[in-house]
Amino acid sequence: MHGRTAVAGVGESRYYRRGAADETEFQLACIAIRNAVEDAGLKLSDVDGIVSFMDRDRNHPARLGAALGTGKLNFTGQAWGGGGNLGMSTLMIADGALTAGYAECVVIFRALAQGQFGRFGRAPAVARAAGEQAYLMPFGVAAPVVRNALMVRRYMHEHGIGQEALAEIALAAYAHAQHNPRAVRYGHPLTREDYHASRWIAEPFHLFDCCQENDGAAAIVMTTAERARDLAKPPVYLRAAAAGMERWGGVPAFNEPSFPNGRYWHIGEKLWERAGAGPADVDVAQFYENFSGTTLMAISDIGFAPADGIEDFVSGGNIQWPDGDLPINTSGGNLAEAYIHGFQAVNEGVRQVRGDSTCQVPDVELSLVVSGPGTPPGSAALFSREP
Amino acid sequence: MDRYLPEDWILPALDDGNRDFFTSGRLALQRCVECGTVQHPPEDVCRSCQSQRLEAAEAEGNGRIYSFSIVHHPLGPKLAGSVPYNVALIQLDDHPHVRIVGNVCDPDEGPLEIGQRVRAVWTTVPDPHSDEPLRLPQWVRGEPAGPQAE
Repeated sequence: MHGRTAVAGVGESRYYRRGAADETEFQLACIAIRNAVEDAGLKLSDVDGIVSFMDRDRNHPARLGAALGTGKLNFTGQAWGGGGNLGMSTLMIADGALTAGYAECVVIFRALAQGQFGRFGRAPAVARAAGEQAYLMPFGVAAPVVRNALMVRRYMHEHGIGQEALAEIALAAYAHAQHNPRAVRYGHPLTREDYHASRWIAEPFHLFDCCQENDGAAAIVMTTAERARDLAKPPVYLRAAAAGMERWGGVPAFNEPSFPNGRYWHIGEKLWERAGAGPADVDVAQFYENFSGTTLMAISDIGFAPADGIEDFVSGGNIQWPDGDLPINTSGGNLAEAYIHGFQAVNEGVRQVRGDSTCQVPDVELSLVVSGPGTPPGSAALFSREP
Repeated sequence: MDRYLPEDWILPALDDGNRDFFTSGRLALQRCVECGTVQHPPEDVCRSCQSQRLEAAEAEGNGRIYSFSIVHHPLGPKLAGSVPYNVALIQLDDHPHVRIVGNVCDPDEGPLEIGQRVRAVWTTVPDPHSDEPLRLPQWVRGEPAGPQAE
Protein backbone atom coordinates (compact mmCIF):
# COMPACT_ATOMS: atom_id res chain seq x y z
CA MET A 1 0.00 0.00 0.00
CA HIS A 2 1.06 3.58 -0.64
CA GLY A 3 3.52 2.71 -3.31
CA ARG A 4 5.48 -0.10 -1.70
CA THR A 5 4.80 -2.32 -4.72
CA ALA A 6 4.60 -1.59 -8.43
CA VAL A 7 3.56 -3.01 -11.75
CA ALA A 8 6.77 -3.75 -13.63
CA GLY A 9 5.34 -5.21 -16.82
CA VAL A 10 2.11 -5.74 -18.76
CA GLY A 11 1.32 -8.15 -21.55
CA GLU A 12 -1.53 -9.66 -23.45
CA SER A 13 -2.31 -12.18 -26.13
CA ARG A 14 -3.95 -11.06 -29.29
CA TYR A 15 -7.61 -10.34 -28.54
CA TYR A 16 -10.11 -12.25 -30.67
CA ARG A 17 -13.80 -12.43 -31.24
CA ARG A 18 -15.27 -15.38 -29.39
CA GLY A 19 -14.28 -18.59 -31.14
CA ALA A 20 -11.69 -16.97 -33.40
CA ALA A 21 -8.53 -17.85 -31.43
CA ASP A 22 -6.25 -20.51 -32.84
CA GLU A 23 -4.71 -20.96 -29.40
CA THR A 24 -6.27 -22.76 -26.47
CA GLU A 25 -7.30 -20.69 -23.45
CA PHE A 26 -4.27 -22.05 -21.59
CA GLN A 27 -1.96 -21.07 -24.44
CA LEU A 28 -3.45 -17.57 -24.40
CA ALA A 29 -2.65 -17.35 -20.68
CA CYS A 30 0.93 -18.44 -21.32
CA ILE A 31 1.37 -15.86 -24.09
CA ALA A 32 0.08 -12.98 -21.95
CA ILE A 33 2.25 -13.94 -18.99
CA ARG A 34 5.34 -14.38 -21.16
CA ASN A 35 4.77 -10.97 -22.73
CA ALA A 36 4.31 -9.27 -19.35
CA VAL A 37 7.49 -10.82 -17.96
CA GLU A 38 9.43 -9.82 -21.07
CA ASP A 39 7.99 -6.28 -20.90
CA ALA A 40 9.39 -5.97 -17.38
CA GLY A 41 12.82 -7.13 -18.51
CA LEU A 42 12.54 -10.22 -16.34
CA LYS A 43 12.83 -13.94 -17.05
CA LEU A 44 10.11 -16.53 -16.46
CA SER A 45 12.46 -18.13 -13.94
CA ASP A 46 12.23 -14.92 -11.87
CA VAL A 47 8.49 -15.46 -11.32
CA ASP A 48 7.77 -16.92 -7.86
CA GLY A 49 4.09 -16.08 -7.44
CA ILE A 50 0.90 -16.53 -9.48
CA VAL A 51 -2.46 -14.89 -8.72
CA SER A 52 -5.74 -14.87 -10.63
CA PHE A 53 -9.47 -14.58 -10.06
CA MET A 54 -12.77 -16.16 -11.10
CA ASP A 55 -14.54 -18.93 -9.23
CA ARG A 56 -13.75 -22.26 -10.92
CA ASP A 57 -10.94 -20.78 -13.01
CA ARG A 58 -9.59 -23.35 -15.43
CA ASN A 59 -5.92 -22.29 -15.58
CA HIS A 60 -4.42 -23.87 -12.51
CA PRO A 61 -1.27 -22.22 -11.08
CA ALA A 62 0.67 -25.48 -10.81
CA ARG A 63 -0.02 -26.30 -14.46
CA LEU A 64 0.98 -22.78 -15.47
CA GLY A 65 4.12 -22.75 -13.39
CA ALA A 66 5.22 -26.05 -14.92
CA ALA A 67 4.37 -25.05 -18.48
CA LEU A 68 6.07 -21.68 -18.22
CA GLY A 69 9.14 -22.88 -16.34
CA THR A 70 8.70 -20.32 -13.61
CA GLY A 71 11.07 -20.33 -10.69
CA LYS A 72 10.11 -22.06 -7.46
CA LEU A 73 6.65 -20.87 -6.57
CA ASN A 74 6.59 -19.20 -3.18
CA PHE A 75 3.05 -17.95 -3.41
CA THR A 76 -0.21 -18.65 -5.21
CA GLY A 77 -3.52 -16.95 -4.54
CA GLN A 78 -6.91 -16.29 -5.99
CA ALA A 79 -9.50 -13.60 -5.35
CA TRP A 80 -12.72 -15.30 -4.33
CA GLY A 81 -16.44 -14.75 -4.83
CA GLY A 82 -17.45 -14.03 -8.41
CA GLY A 83 -15.73 -12.94 -11.61
CA GLY A 84 -15.27 -9.48 -13.05
CA ASN A 85 -15.97 -7.89 -9.68
CA LEU A 86 -12.73 -9.37 -8.34
CA GLY A 87 -10.14 -8.09 -10.83
CA MET A 88 -8.48 -5.48 -8.63
CA SER A 89 -8.65 -7.68 -5.53
CA THR A 90 -5.86 -9.68 -7.16
CA LEU A 91 -3.55 -6.68 -6.86
CA MET A 92 -4.32 -6.45 -3.15
CA ILE A 93 -3.38 -10.12 -2.77
CA ALA A 94 -0.12 -9.61 -4.66
CA ASP A 95 0.63 -6.38 -2.76
CA GLY A 96 0.16 -8.23 0.51
CA ALA A 97 2.38 -11.12 -0.55
CA LEU A 98 5.13 -8.79 -1.78
CA THR A 99 5.14 -6.47 1.21
CA ALA A 100 5.08 -9.42 3.60
CA GLY A 101 8.04 -10.92 1.78
CA TYR A 102 6.23 -14.11 0.78
CA ALA A 103 7.13 -13.58 -2.87
CA GLU A 104 9.33 -11.28 -4.94
CA CYS A 105 7.84 -11.39 -8.41
CA VAL A 106 4.14 -12.10 -8.80
CA VAL A 107 2.30 -12.61 -12.08
CA ILE A 108 -1.41 -11.77 -12.16
CA PHE A 109 -3.45 -12.85 -15.16
CA ARG A 110 -6.87 -13.66 -16.53
CA ALA A 111 -7.44 -15.84 -19.59
CA LEU A 112 -10.90 -16.24 -21.00
CA ALA A 113 -11.83 -18.04 -24.20
CA GLN A 114 -15.60 -17.88 -24.44
CA GLY A 115 -15.40 -19.58 -27.82
CA GLN A 116 -13.99 -22.70 -26.16
CA PHE A 117 -16.03 -22.78 -22.96
CA GLY A 118 -19.42 -21.48 -21.85
CA ARG A 119 -20.53 -18.11 -23.18
CA PHE A 120 -21.49 -15.47 -20.63
CA GLY A 121 -24.26 -14.29 -22.93
CA ARG A 122 -26.05 -17.63 -22.88
CA ALA A 123 -28.02 -19.47 -20.24
CA PRO A 124 -26.18 -22.54 -18.96
CA ALA A 125 -27.48 -25.83 -20.37
CA VAL A 126 -28.95 -27.06 -17.11
CA ALA A 127 -32.39 -28.45 -16.27
CA ARG A 128 -32.34 -27.19 -12.69
CA ALA A 129 -30.97 -24.08 -11.00
CA ALA A 130 -29.80 -24.22 -7.37
CA GLY A 131 -29.07 -21.70 -4.64
CA GLU A 132 -29.65 -18.06 -5.58
CA GLN A 133 -30.17 -19.06 -9.21
CA ALA A 134 -33.30 -21.05 -8.27
CA TYR A 135 -35.01 -17.70 -7.70
CA LEU A 136 -33.74 -16.22 -10.98
CA MET A 137 -33.24 -18.65 -13.85
CA PRO A 138 -36.70 -20.31 -13.91
CA PHE A 139 -38.13 -16.84 -14.53
CA GLY A 140 -35.70 -15.98 -17.35
CA VAL A 141 -32.99 -14.15 -15.39
CA ALA A 142 -30.61 -16.66 -16.90
CA ALA A 143 -27.59 -14.59 -17.95
CA PRO A 144 -25.83 -11.52 -16.55
CA VAL A 145 -27.48 -9.21 -19.08
CA VAL A 146 -30.94 -9.70 -17.56
CA ARG A 147 -29.70 -9.44 -14.02
CA ASN A 148 -27.95 -6.17 -14.79
CA ALA A 149 -30.94 -4.88 -16.75
CA LEU A 150 -33.14 -5.18 -13.65
CA MET A 151 -30.59 -3.24 -11.60
CA VAL A 152 -30.09 -0.53 -14.17
CA ARG A 153 -33.78 -0.02 -14.98
CA ARG A 154 -34.45 0.73 -11.31
CA TYR A 155 -31.36 2.95 -11.06
CA MET A 156 -32.48 4.98 -14.09
CA HIS A 157 -35.98 5.28 -12.61
CA GLU A 158 -34.80 6.48 -9.20
CA HIS A 159 -32.38 9.05 -10.56
CA GLY A 160 -34.04 10.33 -13.71
CA ILE A 161 -31.37 8.87 -16.00
CA GLY A 162 -32.15 8.58 -19.72
CA GLN A 163 -30.97 6.28 -22.48
CA GLU A 164 -28.43 8.87 -23.66
CA ALA A 165 -26.40 8.33 -20.51
CA LEU A 166 -25.96 4.68 -21.46
CA ALA A 167 -25.12 5.67 -25.02
CA GLU A 168 -22.28 7.90 -23.78
CA ILE A 169 -20.49 4.91 -22.21
CA ALA A 170 -20.67 2.96 -25.48
CA LEU A 171 -19.68 5.94 -27.62
CA ALA A 172 -16.62 6.69 -25.47
CA ALA A 173 -15.44 3.08 -25.65
CA TYR A 174 -15.86 2.87 -29.41
CA ALA A 175 -14.24 6.27 -30.02
CA HIS A 176 -11.17 5.23 -28.06
CA ALA A 177 -10.97 1.79 -29.69
CA GLN A 178 -10.55 3.44 -33.09
CA HIS A 179 -7.03 4.51 -31.99
CA ASN A 180 -6.06 1.10 -30.58
CA PRO A 181 -5.02 -1.60 -33.06
CA ARG A 182 -5.31 -4.22 -30.27
CA ALA A 183 -9.03 -3.51 -29.96
CA VAL A 184 -11.33 -6.10 -31.50
CA ARG A 185 -13.61 -3.25 -32.60
CA TYR A 186 -10.76 -1.22 -34.13
CA GLY A 187 -11.94 -0.05 -37.52
CA HIS A 188 -15.61 -0.26 -36.52
CA PRO A 189 -16.66 3.22 -35.39
CA LEU A 190 -20.00 3.69 -33.67
CA THR A 191 -22.30 6.68 -34.13
CA ARG A 192 -25.08 7.78 -31.83
CA GLU A 193 -27.53 6.77 -34.57
CA ASP A 194 -25.97 3.30 -34.81
CA TYR A 195 -26.33 2.94 -31.06
CA HIS A 196 -30.02 3.79 -30.97
CA ALA A 197 -30.77 1.72 -34.07
CA SER A 198 -29.12 -1.41 -32.67
CA ARG A 199 -31.38 -4.21 -31.47
CA TRP A 200 -32.52 -4.57 -27.91
CA ILE A 201 -30.92 -7.38 -25.95
CA ALA A 202 -32.69 -6.84 -22.64
CA GLU A 203 -34.18 -3.38 -22.10
CA PRO A 204 -32.70 -0.92 -21.27
CA PHE A 205 -29.66 -2.50 -22.98
CA HIS A 206 -29.15 -2.28 -26.70
CA LEU A 207 -26.56 -4.48 -28.38
CA PHE A 208 -23.87 -1.82 -27.91
CA ASP A 209 -24.54 -1.55 -24.18
CA CYS A 210 -23.27 -5.10 -23.77
CA CYS A 211 -19.66 -6.19 -23.53
CA GLN A 212 -18.24 -8.45 -26.18
CA GLU A 213 -17.59 -12.15 -25.77
CA ASN A 214 -13.90 -12.68 -26.56
CA ASP A 215 -10.97 -15.05 -26.51
CA GLY A 216 -7.80 -13.64 -25.01
CA ALA A 217 -5.62 -13.12 -21.97
CA ALA A 218 -4.03 -10.22 -20.12
CA ALA A 219 -1.29 -10.31 -17.50
CA ILE A 220 0.86 -8.06 -15.33
CA VAL A 221 3.97 -8.53 -13.24
CA MET A 222 4.13 -6.97 -9.78
CA THR A 223 7.21 -6.64 -7.63
CA THR A 224 8.45 -4.47 -4.80
CA ALA A 225 8.89 -0.77 -5.55
CA GLU A 226 12.59 -1.09 -4.84
CA ARG A 227 13.10 -3.89 -7.32
CA ALA A 228 10.83 -2.33 -9.93
CA ARG A 229 13.07 0.72 -10.13
CA ASP A 230 15.88 -1.44 -11.57
CA LEU A 231 13.82 -3.04 -14.33
CA ALA A 232 13.16 -2.26 -17.98
CA LYS A 233 10.12 -0.01 -17.71
CA PRO A 234 9.30 2.85 -15.37
CA PRO A 235 7.57 1.48 -12.27
CA VAL A 236 3.84 2.11 -12.01
CA TYR A 237 3.14 2.20 -8.30
CA LEU A 238 0.08 0.77 -6.61
CA ARG A 239 -0.89 3.86 -4.66
CA ALA A 240 -3.98 2.30 -3.09
CA ALA A 241 -6.57 -0.41 -3.55
CA ALA A 242 -9.85 -1.30 -1.92
CA ALA A 243 -12.36 -4.13 -2.12
CA GLY A 244 -15.47 -5.43 -0.42
CA MET A 245 -19.11 -4.53 0.00
CA GLU A 246 -21.56 -2.73 2.26
CA ARG A 247 -22.96 -4.54 5.30
CA TRP A 248 -25.69 -6.89 3.93
CA GLY A 249 -24.55 -5.98 0.42
CA GLY A 250 -24.51 -9.68 -0.38
CA VAL A 251 -28.15 -10.59 0.27
CA PRO A 252 -29.02 -12.59 -2.88
CA ALA A 253 -31.61 -12.14 -5.61
CA PHE A 254 -31.88 -8.32 -5.53
CA ASN A 255 -32.71 -8.18 -1.81
CA GLU A 256 -29.69 -6.23 -0.58
CA PRO A 257 -30.83 -3.05 1.23
CA SER A 258 -28.82 -0.70 -1.00
CA PHE A 259 -30.19 -2.16 -4.28
CA PRO A 260 -29.92 -1.10 -7.04
CA ASN A 261 -26.61 0.69 -6.50
CA GLY A 262 -24.25 1.21 -3.61
CA ARG A 263 -21.75 -1.47 -4.58
CA TYR A 264 -18.86 1.06 -4.64
CA TRP A 265 -19.75 3.49 -1.84
CA HIS A 266 -17.67 1.61 0.67
CA ILE A 267 -14.86 0.92 -1.79
CA GLY A 268 -14.61 4.60 -2.73
CA GLU A 269 -14.38 5.68 0.89
CA LYS A 270 -11.58 3.23 1.59
CA LEU A 271 -9.71 3.92 -1.63
CA TRP A 272 -9.57 7.71 -1.25
CA GLU A 273 -8.70 7.45 2.44
CA ARG A 274 -5.80 5.10 1.68
CA ALA A 275 -4.61 7.09 -1.33
CA GLY A 276 -4.67 10.48 0.36
CA ALA A 277 -6.37 11.70 -2.81
CA GLY A 278 -9.88 12.11 -4.16
CA PRO A 279 -11.79 11.70 -7.40
CA ALA A 280 -10.82 15.21 -8.53
CA ASP A 281 -7.15 14.18 -8.49
CA VAL A 282 -7.64 11.31 -10.96
CA ASP A 283 -6.34 11.95 -14.48
CA VAL A 284 -7.77 8.93 -16.30
CA ALA A 285 -9.94 5.96 -15.36
CA GLN A 286 -10.84 2.49 -16.60
CA PHE A 287 -14.27 1.27 -15.50
CA TYR A 288 -15.40 -2.31 -16.06
CA GLU A 289 -18.29 -2.34 -18.46
CA ASN A 290 -20.04 -5.64 -18.55
CA PHE A 291 -22.97 -3.37 -19.41
CA SER A 292 -23.02 0.38 -19.87
CA GLY A 293 -25.51 1.06 -17.10
CA THR A 294 -23.57 -0.60 -14.31
CA THR A 295 -20.58 1.51 -15.35
CA LEU A 296 -22.65 4.61 -14.60
CA MET A 297 -23.32 3.24 -11.12
CA ALA A 298 -19.64 2.61 -10.45
CA ILE A 299 -18.60 6.08 -11.65
CA SER A 300 -21.15 7.63 -9.33
CA ASP A 301 -20.77 5.33 -6.33
CA ILE A 302 -17.00 5.70 -6.17
CA GLY A 303 -17.38 9.45 -5.93
CA PHE A 304 -17.19 11.25 -9.28
CA ALA A 305 -20.77 12.53 -9.37
CA PRO A 306 -24.01 12.01 -7.46
CA ALA A 307 -26.42 9.55 -9.08
CA ASP A 308 -28.86 12.33 -9.88
CA GLY A 309 -26.08 14.11 -11.78
CA ILE A 310 -24.44 11.14 -13.51
CA GLU A 311 -26.06 11.79 -16.89
CA ASP A 312 -24.65 15.33 -16.94
CA PHE A 313 -21.26 14.03 -15.86
CA VAL A 314 -20.92 11.57 -18.75
CA SER A 315 -22.43 13.89 -21.39
CA GLY A 316 -20.88 16.51 -23.62
CA GLY A 317 -17.71 14.56 -24.25
CA ASN A 318 -16.64 14.71 -20.60
CA ILE A 319 -15.55 11.06 -20.53
CA GLN A 320 -13.93 11.06 -23.98
CA TRP A 321 -10.28 11.54 -24.83
CA PRO A 322 -8.68 13.99 -25.57
CA ASP A 323 -10.85 16.83 -24.29
CA GLY A 324 -12.93 15.34 -21.49
CA ASP A 325 -12.21 16.04 -17.83
CA LEU A 326 -12.20 12.30 -17.07
CA PRO A 327 -11.43 10.14 -20.09
CA ILE A 328 -12.59 6.60 -19.32
CA ASN A 329 -11.88 3.26 -20.99
CA THR A 330 -9.18 4.78 -23.13
CA SER A 331 -8.23 1.52 -24.86
CA GLY A 332 -11.83 0.77 -25.79
CA GLY A 333 -12.76 -1.09 -22.61
CA ASN A 334 -14.77 -4.28 -22.46
CA LEU A 335 -17.23 -2.96 -25.00
CA ALA A 336 -14.76 -2.30 -27.80
CA GLU A 337 -11.22 -3.45 -26.93
CA ALA A 338 -11.91 -6.88 -25.47
CA TYR A 339 -13.72 -8.50 -22.59
CA ILE A 340 -10.98 -10.26 -20.66
CA HIS A 341 -13.14 -10.10 -17.56
CA GLY A 342 -11.97 -6.54 -17.10
CA PHE A 343 -8.33 -7.42 -16.57
CA GLN A 344 -7.21 -5.85 -19.85
CA ALA A 345 -8.14 -2.56 -18.15
CA VAL A 346 -5.18 -2.93 -15.79
CA ASN A 347 -2.80 -2.99 -18.74
CA GLU A 348 -4.36 0.22 -20.04
CA GLY A 349 -4.32 1.88 -16.61
CA VAL A 350 -0.61 1.08 -16.35
CA ARG A 351 0.15 2.26 -19.88
CA GLN A 352 -1.50 5.60 -19.11
CA VAL A 353 0.97 6.18 -16.26
CA ARG A 354 3.91 5.16 -18.44
CA GLY A 355 2.79 7.34 -21.33
CA ASP A 356 2.19 4.38 -23.68
CA SER A 357 -1.55 4.54 -24.35
CA THR A 358 -3.00 4.96 -27.84
CA CYS A 359 -5.27 7.63 -26.27
CA GLN A 360 -2.63 9.09 -24.01
CA VAL A 361 -3.73 11.62 -21.41
CA PRO A 362 -0.84 14.07 -20.82
CA ASP A 363 1.23 13.84 -17.64
CA VAL A 364 -0.80 11.21 -15.82
CA GLU A 365 -0.08 11.16 -12.08
CA LEU A 366 -3.06 9.06 -10.95
CA SER A 367 -4.76 6.34 -12.99
CA LEU A 368 -7.82 4.52 -11.64
CA VAL A 369 -9.06 1.03 -12.53
CA VAL A 370 -12.43 -0.13 -11.20
CA SER A 371 -13.80 -3.67 -11.45
CA GLY A 372 -17.37 -4.74 -12.02
CA PRO A 373 -20.26 -3.54 -9.88
CA GLY A 374 -22.70 -6.21 -11.09
CA THR A 375 -21.83 -8.63 -8.29
CA PRO A 376 -20.47 -8.05 -4.79
CA PRO A 377 -17.75 -7.87 -3.52
CA GLY A 378 -16.17 -5.30 -5.83
CA SER A 379 -12.65 -3.93 -6.08
CA ALA A 380 -10.66 -0.95 -7.35
CA ALA A 381 -7.00 0.07 -7.72
CA LEU A 382 -5.26 3.41 -8.07
CA PHE A 383 -1.91 3.59 -9.87
CA SER A 384 0.56 6.44 -9.60
CA ARG A 385 3.70 7.74 -11.26
CA GLU A 386 5.28 8.55 -7.88
CA PRO A 387 5.28 6.09 -4.97
CA MET B 1 -52.47 -21.08 -15.60
CA ASP B 2 -49.82 -22.23 -18.06
CA ARG B 3 -46.20 -21.55 -17.32
CA TYR B 4 -45.10 -18.21 -18.77
CA LEU B 5 -41.81 -19.59 -20.10
CA PRO B 6 -41.68 -22.95 -21.93
CA GLU B 7 -42.51 -26.15 -20.04
CA ASP B 8 -38.98 -27.46 -20.60
CA TRP B 9 -37.24 -24.29 -19.41
CA ILE B 10 -35.01 -24.36 -16.30
CA LEU B 11 -36.72 -25.35 -13.03
CA PRO B 12 -35.62 -24.64 -9.47
CA ALA B 13 -33.58 -27.35 -7.76
CA LEU B 14 -35.37 -27.94 -4.48
CA ASP B 15 -33.65 -27.93 -1.12
CA ASP B 16 -34.89 -27.72 2.46
CA GLY B 17 -34.71 -23.95 2.39
CA ASN B 18 -36.66 -23.29 -0.79
CA ARG B 19 -39.10 -26.24 -0.97
CA ASP B 20 -42.03 -24.29 0.50
CA PHE B 21 -41.50 -21.36 -1.83
CA PHE B 22 -41.60 -23.54 -4.93
CA THR B 23 -44.22 -26.16 -3.95
CA SER B 24 -46.72 -24.72 -1.47
CA GLY B 25 -48.64 -22.39 -3.76
CA ARG B 26 -48.11 -19.63 -1.19
CA LEU B 27 -45.54 -16.85 -1.08
CA ALA B 28 -43.43 -18.60 1.52
CA LEU B 29 -40.85 -16.38 3.19
CA GLN B 30 -38.71 -17.18 6.23
CA ARG B 31 -39.09 -15.71 9.73
CA CYS B 32 -36.55 -15.87 12.54
CA VAL B 33 -38.09 -17.40 15.67
CA GLU B 34 -35.64 -15.48 17.88
CA CYS B 35 -35.82 -11.92 16.53
CA GLY B 36 -38.82 -11.98 14.19
CA THR B 37 -36.95 -10.77 11.10
CA VAL B 38 -38.55 -11.89 7.84
CA GLN B 39 -36.00 -12.65 5.14
CA HIS B 40 -35.88 -13.67 1.49
CA PRO B 41 -34.31 -15.60 -0.11
CA PRO B 42 -34.16 -18.07 2.76
CA GLU B 43 -30.83 -18.69 4.42
CA ASP B 44 -29.48 -21.29 6.85
CA VAL B 45 -29.20 -18.60 9.51
CA CYS B 46 -31.03 -15.36 10.30
CA ARG B 47 -29.09 -12.57 8.63
CA SER B 48 -29.95 -10.23 11.51
CA CYS B 49 -29.21 -12.26 14.64
CA GLN B 50 -27.59 -15.44 13.24
CA SER B 51 -30.11 -17.69 14.96
CA GLN B 52 -30.69 -21.02 13.24
CA ARG B 53 -34.28 -21.28 14.47
CA LEU B 54 -36.22 -20.25 11.40
CA GLU B 55 -39.86 -20.82 10.50
CA ALA B 56 -42.15 -20.27 7.56
CA ALA B 57 -43.77 -16.88 7.08
CA GLU B 58 -46.38 -16.25 4.47
CA ALA B 59 -46.79 -13.08 2.42
CA GLU B 60 -50.18 -12.02 1.12
CA GLY B 61 -49.02 -11.91 -2.46
CA ASN B 62 -49.72 -8.27 -3.29
CA GLY B 63 -47.07 -5.87 -4.44
CA ARG B 64 -45.78 -3.43 -6.99
CA ILE B 65 -43.41 -3.65 -9.91
CA TYR B 66 -40.08 -2.44 -8.55
CA SER B 67 -38.10 -3.01 -11.74
CA PHE B 68 -38.48 -4.97 -14.95
CA SER B 69 -36.85 -5.78 -18.27
CA ILE B 70 -38.20 -6.85 -21.61
CA VAL B 71 -35.83 -9.53 -22.86
CA HIS B 72 -35.56 -9.62 -26.66
CA HIS B 73 -32.51 -11.83 -27.13
CA PRO B 74 -33.06 -15.55 -26.55
CA LEU B 75 -30.51 -16.70 -23.98
CA GLY B 76 -30.78 -20.27 -25.20
CA PRO B 77 -32.52 -22.36 -27.89
CA LYS B 78 -35.41 -23.21 -25.58
CA LEU B 79 -36.32 -19.52 -25.32
CA ALA B 80 -36.19 -18.86 -29.06
CA GLY B 81 -39.97 -18.95 -29.37
CA SER B 82 -40.59 -16.97 -26.18
CA VAL B 83 -38.95 -13.62 -26.91
CA PRO B 84 -39.75 -10.93 -26.18
CA TYR B 85 -40.63 -11.90 -22.61
CA ASN B 86 -40.71 -9.84 -19.44
CA VAL B 87 -38.94 -10.30 -16.13
CA ALA B 88 -40.09 -8.27 -13.17
CA LEU B 89 -38.90 -7.60 -9.66
CA ILE B 90 -41.87 -7.33 -7.28
CA GLN B 91 -41.78 -5.41 -4.00
CA LEU B 92 -44.25 -6.93 -1.52
CA ASP B 93 -46.84 -4.73 0.20
CA ASP B 94 -46.71 -6.53 3.52
CA HIS B 95 -42.91 -7.00 3.55
CA PRO B 96 -41.57 -4.00 1.63
CA HIS B 97 -37.93 -4.97 2.15
CA VAL B 98 -38.58 -8.20 0.22
CA ARG B 99 -38.26 -8.33 -3.58
CA ILE B 100 -39.24 -11.36 -5.64
CA VAL B 101 -38.35 -12.15 -9.24
CA GLY B 102 -41.12 -13.28 -11.55
CA ASN B 103 -42.97 -12.71 -14.78
CA VAL B 104 -46.03 -10.55 -15.34
CA CYS B 105 -48.43 -12.76 -17.28
CA ASP B 106 -51.21 -10.46 -18.47
CA PRO B 107 -50.29 -9.25 -21.95
CA ASP B 108 -53.70 -7.55 -22.42
CA GLU B 109 -52.99 -5.07 -19.63
CA GLY B 110 -50.55 -2.98 -21.64
CA PRO B 111 -46.89 -2.12 -21.15
CA LEU B 112 -45.21 -2.71 -17.81
CA GLU B 113 -44.31 0.30 -15.69
CA ILE B 114 -42.49 0.63 -12.39
CA GLY B 115 -45.00 1.14 -9.59
CA GLN B 116 -47.89 -0.83 -11.12
CA ARG B 117 -49.82 -2.97 -8.67
CA VAL B 118 -49.57 -6.73 -9.11
CA ARG B 119 -50.77 -9.83 -7.30
CA ALA B 120 -49.43 -13.38 -7.27
CA VAL B 121 -51.00 -16.20 -9.22
CA TRP B 122 -49.65 -19.74 -9.47
CA THR B 123 -48.55 -21.95 -12.28
CA THR B 124 -48.32 -25.69 -11.69
CA VAL B 125 -45.46 -27.48 -13.40
CA PRO B 126 -44.92 -31.25 -13.25
CA ASP B 127 -41.71 -32.13 -11.45
CA PRO B 128 -39.94 -34.92 -13.34
CA HIS B 129 -38.14 -35.91 -10.13
CA SER B 130 -41.15 -36.06 -7.83
CA ASP B 131 -44.83 -36.97 -7.57
CA GLU B 132 -45.44 -33.52 -6.17
CA PRO B 133 -45.67 -30.75 -8.78
CA LEU B 134 -43.82 -27.46 -8.57
CA ARG B 135 -45.93 -24.37 -8.11
CA LEU B 136 -44.20 -21.22 -9.36
CA PRO B 137 -45.34 -17.70 -8.49
CA GLN B 138 -46.27 -15.51 -11.42
CA TRP B 139 -47.88 -12.09 -11.37
CA VAL B 140 -50.83 -10.26 -12.90
CA ARG B 141 -51.65 -6.60 -12.64
CA GLY B 142 -54.53 -5.42 -10.53
CA GLU B 143 -55.58 -4.35 -7.09
CA PRO B 144 -55.16 -6.67 -4.10
CA ALA B 145 -57.63 -9.55 -4.28
CA GLY B 146 -58.94 -12.07 -1.81
CA PRO B 147 -58.02 -15.72 -2.25
CA GLN B 148 -55.28 -16.20 -4.79
CA ALA B 149 -56.47 -17.42 -8.15
CA GLU B 150 -55.18 -20.65 -9.63
